Amino acid sequence: MLAAGIVGKIKNPALAAPEKNTDTGSVNCSSSRYCPAYALVSITVNSPAILATPRLSKTTAGGAMSVAYPARCLLSRGLTATASKARIAAPTPAPPCRAPFHSSAQLAKRKPRFKSIRAEEMGLVTPEKIEQFSKETYPQYTPEELEVLRKRYTPEQMAALEAGEAAIDPKDLTIQGRIRRDPYRPIYLDDFSKILPIVDKRPKPHPPPPEKIRFMSEEEHAHDLEKVVEGLIPKDINFEGMTDEEIENVLYEKVNFDLEEAKYFEEHTTLANHDKPSNSALAPGLGKNLRGVSGVYKATIDPEDQGSDNEGEFQGLKRKSGLSVADIKKLHATSKTLVTRWVTNQTRLGKVQSTWVLAIAGNGNGRLGIGEAKSVEGPVASAKAKQLAIRNMQPIPRYEDRTIFGSVEAKVGATIVKLEARPPGFGLRASHRLFEMFRIAGIRDIAAKMPRGRNPMNSCKACMQALMSQKDPNDIAIGRGKKLVDLRKVYYGGNVL
Amino acid sequence: MSIKNIVNVTSHLRNACRARLGLTSVPLSKYNLGLLLAMHRAGFLSFVTRGGPEPPNPDTIATYRPPPLTTANVADQRLWIGLKYVNNEPVLRNLETISMSGRYISANMKALNRLARGFDASYQKGLNFGECMFVTTSVGTFEIREAVQKKVGGLLMCRVGP
Repeated sequence: MLAAGIVGKIKNPALAAPEKNTDTGSVNCSSSRYCPAYALVSITVNSPAILATPRLSKTTAGGAMSVAYPARCLLSRGLTATASKARIAAPTPAPPCRAPFHSSAQLAKRKPRFKSIRAEEMGLVTPEKIEQFSKETYPQYTPEELEVLRKRYTPEQMAALEAGEAAIDPKDLTIQGRIRRDPYRPIYLDDFSKILPIVDKRPKPHPPPPEKIRFMSEEEHAHDLEKVVEGLIPKDINFEGMTDEEIENVLYEKVNFDLEEAKYFEEHTTLANHDKPSNSALAPGLGKNLRGVSGVYKATIDPEDQGSDNEGEFQGLKRKSGLSVADIKKLHATSKTLVTRWVTNQTRLGKVQSTWVLAIAGNGNGRLGIGEAKSVEGPVASAKAKQLAIRNMQPIPRYEDRTIFGSVEAKVGATIVKLEARPPGFGLRASHRLFEMFRIAGIRDIAAKMPRGRNPMNSCKACMQALMSQKDPNDIAIGRGKKLVDLRKVYYGGNVL
Repeated sequence: MSIKNIVNVTSHLRNACRARLGLTSVPLSKYNLGLLLAMHRAGFLSFVTRGGPEPPNPDTIATYRPPPLTTANVADQRLWIGLKYVNNEPVLRNLETISMSGRYISANMKALNRLARGFDASYQKGLNFGECMFVTTSVGTFEIREAVQKKVGGLLMCRVGP
């Protein structure tokens, strides 16, 4: 079908004809493009007016310029000059010689292809049209609609509605109003009942407190207290002729002193020129959870920890790792500081010395983590590094839970760590730092070599990288589509460590 | 024997895997074909097929029939290879050539036995976990375990690891 359609198109003489035309046209064009160009060149070269331009004479006199440049310059000038001559029959004075920025010929000033027509001339913005548009776009309420509204709103609200309607001229809306259609417009046209935090200004929750407000002076406090105490005395009792004891008894009977005391401290205002309680919505007191303050000075004690972490030392780690404090404490006890460095930051105020610590943590059963921290205080850095090590613990692949899969190698800086799997009972033959790492990770048979550098920090990091770069036998089996069999297990009938 | 071409193939495959290509091609030769088929048997490649300068569609590779080989088109025929990836990691990662045109290294039965069990032999490190070695023998090109099974020694071509 498609091929037939194409053939049909080609066979159609109406379609084929323009092709032929364009063919011949292109030939014509090419001839017209080339022939006059030669002619122009001859004109420009012969033109005495251009040869006499001061600029050219200067360049030839100087002789510093390349030969190609003035010729090109000449040609372009000639082109513009002849073009203008060809358009206008009357002879015009030559254009002032300005230094051209481009070597190519200047184009004639571009004119728009269509004449621009004003909307007024087209009759689009006549008063009648405007009126018609505003009537269509902003119609008045019909009597039926008003009936419906009346059922919903009170007469006062209706009056306000009508007044509002009358206040805005639909013509103004037509001329000045713009309904936004851009993609960033608010999702509503005129719904002010909801507040969008991005589009709208945030409303202030409380009016600002009065300006003249201030805290009471001592004297004012005394007066205030006196007033409060006077207010407590019951008015309906005649105290005359009573003994002190009797008065006291009556007062205790009539007045709840504990409650009044609490009221005085909790609710009573401490501000002058202000009769509201000091902790109100108008002048709110300090909140309980202040950013940067809460939880810093007073550790929250979780009853779940059973009093094991009242200092709050492990609360952050507990939140981040999801471990219980008891588990964290166990890991913390076995974790070890492997590398310590005393580092110095040279500032313009002098040397700031601090301690950098690398610590390891592991559960002795296939998990190992490295943490590094720096602090001006050594113990702080150590504690931080240990916590980070606990946080960074990762499962290490282990063959038979005692050694690694094959031999692996990793490089950090100039330090290369080579690890090799070993048979059961071989033990850990490694440098002391790597030994600690294997022990805490639960690896019991391994040989480690560091043929090149043995930088303490790099050796620990490279060892971790090497352990993590082991290939998973399941991944290999899945990738190759083969069944991998552990020969040791087959040979010993599964009776391996 | 153009062992030089094998060197080119191994280094091309290593580059292709690192660039995470889905399929690639190598020149068509019996030597290359033997190695690639052995690698396909070992599970490193998803397919190996002869084809023209244009790659075959991998979706319909199961039913793909290469064009008949004629004297006219034999020169532009290539071997098209599908590469495998698991969890965004290449199955075929480390390829190392062993024999070069200036230095052929062969291994007899005894040496192959040792290499397959992870011991050093024939100037070679023993095979590591997940590694394979390819040997070309008088009866064809094999993976080292196949060669041991067939009890033939031969020229060590390359070792391939995950």
